[in-house]
Amino acid sequence: MDPLAGALNGAGFAVGAAIGAISLAGFRNTGSPTLLRLAVAFSAIGAGFLPIWAGGLGAPGWVGTLGLAMQAVGYFFIAFSHSMKAFLPRSGRLTSVYALPLFLGSYVQMGHIVRSVSFILLAYGAIETVLSYIENRKPGTAMVAAGLVMLALGEFLSWYSLVYPDSPLLLASGAVKIGGLLAIFVPVSRVALAGRVRAGQKD
Amino acid sequence: MAEHRAQIEVIGEILSTASDQTEEGAGVTSLVRNANVPHARISGVLGTLVARGLLERSAGGSHARYRISVSGRQFLREYRAFREVADSFGLSI
Repeated sequence: MDPLAGALNGAGFAVGAAIGAISLAGFRNTGSPTLLRLAVAFSAIGAGFLPIWAGGLGAPGWVGTLGLAMQAVGYFFIAFSHSMKAFLPRSGRLTSVYALPLFLGSYVQMGHIVRSVSFILLAYGAIETVLSYIENRKPGTAMVAAGLVMLALGEFLSWYSLVYPDSPLLLASGAVKIGGLLAIFVPVSRVALAGRVRAGQKD
Repeated sequence: MAEHRAQIEVIGEILSTASDQTEEGAGVTSLVRNANVPHARISGVLGTLVARGLLERSAGGSHARYRISVSGRQFLREYRAFREVADSFGLSI
């Protein structure tokens, strides 16, 4: 694997885990379910970089796909926080029909399906966050919106690498995704920098 | 979950109102008005906050006054900080 790709995956893990840890501290200090969802989301996104990294080092094909699936779960929790549940089908039978294609085809094909789902979830989250920025005009919201747009662009680029498999698109995708996570980290890190994170001290 | 979210926002408003009061604390009527919490709901929330040590109750009966404790101030600081985080995502805490 390209050392640069390894470094990008390592950075993605670190930044995702840091955002997840700060959100988890927020949940433990306030009991907010929103912060719990963000903690789950960014922990999954950060942890997903490790199997992707291992997949690039020659691990079996399902390992890389597992990493993509973990990140898709993280993106789902971000979208879910914006009440995306309202758009999901209520029938369990219908949901199982949608899930069926995930068990067909190779791990490579599954990876591309997961990436396309991730892109849709991120696009939804980004649009909702942009709409929130239009309402509140807070710089932190603009940073998070930019970060989600960059994550969506990164997923799109990695999905597009199916068309040009030997191009540096996959590497560019990794760099754009790390940039997106860093943009999200900026407003979140202000809490930690202010010395306000004291996990577990609620009373 | 929506109920819990509303609950934490109510707690934040009550503590914020109590922190703005003088040393003798805030009366129930003042908390109801400034924190915009229904009268029927506030007694249960106040009881929980006193039991958790976030508010201190200084007098009994209908003239009870509530003062924010040191733990309450600490909670309020963290609530406000993490509300900013949630706001950054366009979400309510």
